[in-house]
Amino acid sequence: MIVGDLKPMDEIAAMIAGYRKILVLGCGSCVTVCLSGGEREARQLARELSHPMHYPGDPPELRVGSILRQCEQDLVSAYQEVAPDIDAILSLACGAGVQTLGDAFEPLPVLPALNTTFYGASSKPGVWHEVCRGCGDCLLSHTGGICPIARCAKSLLNGPCGGSQNGACEIDPHTPCAWMMIYYRLKKQNKLPLLDRLCLTRDWQSAGGAGPRVRIRTGIGDPQ
Amino acid sequence: MAYFRVNQRCNGCLACVENCPADALSARDTQDHRTLLHNMARCARCGNCWRVCPQDAIEFQHLLHGDWEAVTTLDLLRCDVCNAPVYTAPFSETVSKKIQWELKPLCPRHREALDGLARAAYIPGGHKKEEVSS
Repeated sequence: MIVGDLKPMDEIAAMIAGYRKILVLGCGSCVTVCLSGGEREARQLARELSHPMHYPGDPPELRVGSILRQCEQDLVSAYQEVAPDIDAILSLACGAGVQTLGDAFEPLPVLPALNTTFYGASSKPGVWHEVCRGCGDCLLSHTGGICPIARCAKSLLNGPCGGSQNGACEIDPHTPCAWMMIYYRLKKQNKLPLLDRLCLTRDWQSAGGAGPRVRIRTGIGDPQ
Repeated sequence: MAYFRVNQRCNGCLACVENCPADALSARDTQDHRTLLHNMARCARCGNCWRVCPQDAIEFQHLLHGDWEAVTTLDLLRCDVCNAPVYTAPFSETVSKKIQWELKPLCPRHREALDGLARAAYIPGGHKKEEVSS
């Protein structure tokens, strides 16, 4: 899922200073599950932001709402009501949601309350790890299902660097070396010969190097 | 009350069933009737049904703001002093078993008052701290 983190409170307060009536809008999907941007977090954020200590003058009026997904323009246009006196939306969605709201309610300013951080998986309650970069050219079938692009600090494609020490990455002793994990996973799968294959320089166009990526589902999506 | 609801414009064309990516919609035909079926456990609430419906018959707002459903009903215990609801009888039983002490149903305010009385009645030196030899 997409993982996000709430921005520092002073940054959010500075962002909304100058607006008088703000809709604080949670998103009911990824950021609800990663406990950073759902309806509960939106209520909590509005409570915190209503404190006068954040502003030189009177605090703005904050209204709270939430919608299942902020990243679908037709859904938000049809089902998210924005009162005419609202002068900004503070979105707790990922960057995709913030931008979709901006398109749906143009010219109303839509401000991000979260930093969208990574595509992650939850290993245990309350912990999410980055495991995918969305590079558009998945090589997990060669690496025992462990992504060296997302999980190696240097995104190395042909084995570990010299900083791999006792199975840990040199950036932090608690971060396992991705290539150590790949080696032991392939060993368990009796697929160590996969490591003999040299991974040539990748074409990063699929990772966004050729501009914003678009997916059109044949038969349904209309390129226009 | 069902979460997936259609209005009177539904003509049973099954466009929603055909286009549901989660296989959460189905239809059952009998001799004289066609019944549209929805499975909430399968539904991804993606909105595809609502998008493709040529009759504009799907009331998707019920999948966004559904009603509350009762899940279970348990006996409730109330504060012995002020009658405020505190916790359920099975919860009291579970905790009492764990602490091996019968829990007295008291709200936080009256529990604190009771603790205060207990503290006031406590006589320091009633038991001696054991000396620790190095």
